[in-house]
Amino acid sequence: MNISESKIRELTIEAIKELGENVTPEKLREAVYKKVEASLTNGNFTQEPKDSGRIIITSYGMNQPGVVSKISTVLAENNCDIQDITQKILQEFFTMIMIVDISNAKISFKEIHDLLTKTAEEINIKIMVQHEDVFRYMHRI
Amino acid sequence: MPYQFEEILETVRMTAVEHFDIRTVTLGISLRDCADRDVNVVCQKIYDKITRIAENHVNIAKEVETRFGIAIANKRIAVTPISIPFDNFTRDEYVKIAKTLDRVAEKVGVDFLGGFSALVQKGFTNGEKELIQAIPQALAETKRVCSSVNVASTRAGINMDAVNLMSRQVKETARLSAKDNSIGCAKLVVFCNVPEDNPFIAGAFHGVSEPETALNIGISGPGVVLQAIKEAGNVDFGQLAETIKKVAFKITRAGELIGRKVAEALNVNFGIVDISLAPTPAEGDSIADIIQAMGLESVGAPGSTAALALLNDAVKKGGSMASSYVGGMSGSFIPVSEDAGMIRAVQNGNLSLEKLEAMTSVCSVGLDMIAVPGDTSEETIAAIIADECAIGIINDKTTAVRIIPAYNKKVGEMVDYGGLLGSAPIMEVRKLKTNNFVLRGGRIPAPIRSLTN
Repeated sequence: MNISESKIRELTIEAIKELGENVTPEKLREAVYKKVEASLTNGNFTQEPKDSGRIIITSYGMNQPGVVSKISTVLAENNCDIQDITQKILQEFFTMIMIVDISNAKISFKEIHDLLTKTAEEINIKIMVQHEDVFRYMHRI
Repeated sequence: MPYQFEEILETVRMTAVEHFDIRTVTLGISLRDCADRDVNVVCQKIYDKITRIAENHVNIAKEVETRFGIAIANKRIAVTPISIPFDNFTRDEYVKIAKTLDRVAEKVGVDFLGGFSALVQKGFTNGEKELIQAIPQALAETKRVCSSVNVASTRAGINMDAVNLMSRQVKETARLSAKDNSIGCAKLVVFCNVPEDNPFIAGAFHGVSEPETALNIGISGPGVVLQAIKEAGNVDFGQLAETIKKVAFKITRAGELIGRKVAEALNVNFGIVDISLAPTPAEGDSIADIIQAMGLESVGAPGSTAALALLNDAVKKGGSMASSYVGGMSGSFIPVSEDAGMIRAVQNGNLSLEKLEAMTSVCSVGLDMIAVPGDTSEETIAAIIADECAIGIINDKTTAVRIIPAYNKKVGEMVDYGGLLGSAPIMEVRKLKTNNFVLRGGRIPAPIRSLTN
């Protein structure tokens, strides 16, 4: 059984509202547990988590001005929402990871993939575009 | 960020540097509803059914591959053992069916199709005998069809008549494909306790208890395990097993994800994940290198069996936690020709057939992709198969023999098959006579182990 983070958040807010002024951390925890359990037994969740619609873009190569802007321009032009971005630079070598929501994108995953690969070639860096699920499966139980 | 920077880089590194890929996505298709008295009708039905179900198999697999950034090395098909639904044909008619399978495999774009098979551990039906007779010609005249025959099981014992018959077919297959280094034998497996949902060619088929269709996944990943062991450094065995388990868990999870997505898109049942570590000839993607990284000078050294046992067990433990349905072979593969480290060990004289046989008692499969001199006698090959079957029935595990008596080749020479099949050094076989033993014929009774009720 899987329950998404956003669903837990939703249930927590609901519990806070219900508890009103009486809320304490202990009471809240108990209420949320109950709600999660109830949802699971009601069968509100399928065994498969819903497609999150997010992709993870990992790029690496020699650092140069404009790397972030070039990639984010491609994403912005196609209505992709950058939700998180982390970058590390070791001397001249950089690694950047972006988490991007493409559920409202104008183009398909394949097209985004191809566009980014082309951009990466132009500025001579390596880029990997992968659906978020693969990371969730491998690193979260 | 919901993931650690390092976690993301770990996955990227696995796929980009350490050869982590999904070894095979195998679509199993039942052919039980394709029976008819007329072989031409059967061929037409088989062609139509496989085309209909597998038409998009390769494209969908490629799409999933791009989506998750994990390569799927092979897209393949397994069918019901041909001898079962089509038991009323003759040798030539079976060859005709094999050619149809070859044609349809080409049409849907898969490089290999498994299932030209028979299960004869307890004896032959007339059709099964004819099919086995057809194997050498079928393999010589097709490119993509793979054949397997199960000759022993814990419940039935070892059908020595089948073992003898198969050793003749192996020799004949080698002769008929002599001009291609006897490559026919690389497509022929003799099994003991064959699993019905094995996704790995050449031994794959769609078992009789399987549903209409099923999608089975074989993971890969020796390169990833090797890297983890190297990074762990000089730790004790408990820690070593722990390291392997963690990696196995991650790669199996990825396999499960890919399998479910491909199955969903194809609208077929998701079957199992086979958690075998399968090497490729690529440098570093080797079981032999893992054994070496554990601290032995070379695979084949005393201690190799213990190292392999630890590896195999830890992979199973990690993998079985990661997938809801584990099946197939699920153990490490130690093929010689497909593993650069194994090839080196044989060439340096560090790995003998006997040590390899011992190692097969603690891993899946068995003597896999072993090239031996072309003049190795039928009886010797039969005896080698019997030994492997004995390991299988006594330990209640799958074992198999995929042996290549390379026509006109001698010890020390190499045979090269290219691609994932790799190249094999011809190994020495003891020239002691086995005739009076194997030619007794009949069936070696099932071991006491079979009486479990």
